[in-house]
Amino acid sequence: MRMDTVIMGGGLSGLVCGIALAKRGQRVAIVTTGQSTLLFNGGSMELLGCVDGKAVTSPVDAVAALPEEHPYRKIGAERIADLAGQAKSLLSDAGIQMEGTATANHWRVTPMGVAKPAWLTLKSHLRIDDLDKLPCKRLALMCVKGFFDEPNGMLANGLREMGFDVEMIEFTTDDITALRRSPSEMRASSLAKHLLSNSSLQRVADEINRHAGNADVVLLPNVLADEDSYETLQSMVNKPLRQVATLPPAVAGNRMQSLLRHYFQMLGGTYLMGDTAVGGTLDGARLVSITTAKLGDMPLKADEFVLATGSFISRGLVADYERVYEPILDLDVDADADREQWTRFGILEPQAYSRYGVKTDGDLRCIKQGKTIHNLRAIGSVLSGHDAIKMGDGTGVSLLTALAATQSILEK
Amino acid sequence: MADKMQLCNISANNFEQCTKCSICTTVCPVAAVTTDYPGPKQAGPDGERYRLKDPAYYDKMLKLCLNCKRCEVACPSGVHIADIIQRARMKAGEGKRASLRDTMLANTDLLGTVANLVAPVANAALGLKPTKLVMDSVMAIDKHRTFPAYSRTKFETWFKRHAADSQEAYPHHVSYFHGCYVNYNFPKLGQDLVKLMNAVGYGVHLLDKEQCCGVALIANGLYKQAKRQGNVNATSIRHAVKDERHTVLTTSSSCTFNLRDEYPAVLGIDTSDVRDSIMLATRFLYRLVEDGDIKLIFKQDYKHRVAYHTACHMQRMGWHLYSIEMLRMIPGLDLVVLDQECCGISGTYGFKKENYERSQAIGSTLFKQIEQARVEVVATDCETCKWQIEMSTGVPVENPVSILADALDVEATRKANGVKD
Repeated sequence: MRMDTVIMGGGLSGLVCGIALAKRGQRVAIVTTGQSTLLFNGGSMELLGCVDGKAVTSPVDAVAALPEEHPYRKIGAERIADLAGQAKSLLSDAGIQMEGTATANHWRVTPMGVAKPAWLTLKSHLRIDDLDKLPCKRLALMCVKGFFDEPNGMLANGLREMGFDVEMIEFTTDDITALRRSPSEMRASSLAKHLLSNSSLQRVADEINRHAGNADVVLLPNVLADEDSYETLQSMVNKPLRQVATLPPAVAGNRMQSLLRHYFQMLGGTYLMGDTAVGGTLDGARLVSITTAKLGDMPLKADEFVLATGSFISRGLVADYERVYEPILDLDVDADADREQWTRFGILEPQAYSRYGVKTDGDLRCIKQGKTIHNLRAIGSVLSGHDAIKMGDGTGVSLLTALAATQSILEK
Repeated sequence: MADKMQLCNISANNFEQCTKCSICTTVCPVAAVTTDYPGPKQAGPDGERYRLKDPAYYDKMLKLCLNCKRCEVACPSGVHIADIIQRARMKAGEGKRASLRDTMLANTDLLGTVANLVAPVANAALGLKPTKLVMDSVMAIDKHRTFPAYSRTKFETWFKRHAADSQEAYPHHVSYFHGCYVNYNFPKLGQDLVKLMNAVGYGVHLLDKEQCCGVALIANGLYKQAKRQGNVNATSIRHAVKDERHTVLTTSSSCTFNLRDEYPAVLGIDTSDVRDSIMLATRFLYRLVEDGDIKLIFKQDYKHRVAYHTACHMQRMGWHLYSIEMLRMIPGLDLVVLDQECCGISGTYGFKKENYERSQAIGSTLFKQIEQARVEVVATDCETCKWQIEMSTGVPVENPVSILADALDVEATRKANGVKD
């Protein structure tokens, strides 16, 4: 089958690239092994959170000081503000309404109660612009009885350390109690599916209104399926309501993934979920086609290809006992040859492997055995030179490299 | 170092690959509508560790699994979650007899043979209120369901009478695994395939011996019978592929998935030597068009708005793009691709009284999408999705092959492909 562009990987970067290309009339197919790590996203995007262990105030200003191998430097520091704006409006077009700006980070709150710098956060979620000037004082933290996905004690302690007064209120409703029949599924995603009807939401609202007496803001774990459910519940509650991220898989991330996928398909894109790219055919410096597990002897041909397969967790990169490699085309990777250098003791310490990824040239084009493949670009977490965990740049790299690669492809 | 360590997973079901990310539970259509089902992660990889220790850990609620495979499609780690669940059910059901109701629902071909003989009577009787109430109370087949109508003439009979003799004259040849639905309920789909293939110069042949693929037998726990029939089919297919050099075409996504993937995974029938030669007609046709081997010419005045629904097993096979791209070749066809959602019927599952409400709840998102799409027809490659969607939305459902045959300008296509009358 022939496409204009074939994208390997259907997570945040692959979908955004696919959408941007399909919007310009391209025929695009995305091949993706399964659901992506976007489902672990609690409702915020980060552009650049930390440099040398210090929180970044303005991502746009901090980019220039990044090392040259960082993907943002390859795109060009001067383009970051523009691409960030494009990303925000593309998300909005897909139905994902987020607030924030690339020139001033705000703070998101993790389920463990830690404040982390963020660029964009969903409108319905807790967002703190300035930790020295909290937006409110008294929080009512609604704790769902029997819920697996929120370590409430840690969350409350973290919020108290930030300076909030937190009252923890345990509650349940008939719908939620019924869910506990399946003890292994008392998860955020299950709750979201069972708290859809107005009557279910009214019962939650009744509990909130009964207990959240003197709070300024009511916090609820992110168990509301979508914007409609949030608006409905907010209209039933007599105080401002905000959601906080839960442990993954997150309802917010799941919702973002399905909105992006829906938008891509609406634009005519072909989304092949549950299939895996397993190899490709090169003709000199060009990739001609890729083969997939399911399409078998009918490869996907295209003029341009994009590698958006993610990092180790998504198997975009694989480490065995001897080496780190890219499994589809065995592209050149930036990784230490000596296995001893991959990791260091202490899981929370900076880890070398989290910066590993495929090697690219200045235009994000991939390299195999030292030679550039002219029509294959890498985007997102499969790229080397950034560190989603320690630098808080994962989602930003996914979004911005996707849009930068799109521009290169369209300019050809 | 590597040669001293275990590099390969040694478990039969690869459940060690599960990273406990729980993504499968977010896509399970059953867990979304009932708390009785523990969800794919618990029912599959997690539960399997316990069951290996002691079979008494088997949870009878595993019967609620639709085997829709959406968990496998969503799994980022390639765990065969639904296969683990099917095999656990199979093991737990060994030595037990299936109920009369389940046996009847599962034996689509036996039921079909009897019903064909008395089709007018059977159709009338199955549609009557008293019959439905008896089936509901005695057999536990839900009264809301209408049995698909039985045809008076089997497809095989029609084929022998009206088509078989003319097939040898064509320059190219394929075999056709028609399945029970085409044979007993809806011969027109088989006739449409013959019309389409003939128009592009391909003669169609039946297999030496075709039996029900067994997808319903597996779902209802009749594994021995499924295996027996599977072996008959495997032999016939092997003969067609190896001796006749035919590709074996299909028009049902679930039959295709069963023949290609469930035979080895669940029944232990090795079809690896012929697997690549069993394919949906839309995939076969797409390749011929793409390679420039055939030309399809469609009627000028064909104009319809159609929605495509990806059946669960179709998505598991990853072949929906062929049916979608074939439909897109029809100039007058305005296509809406629906978001992939389970319709809830899952073969015989939704026919059972105890599953009816769950089945409709699962499908509700899809039904809403179809209503909003404002289309004349829904296209899908699965016959049981067809029954469910027609019953639940009132919108007629057609197989893409029938839509292609309907839109085709047969005379012009025959001429363009040099096919003589």
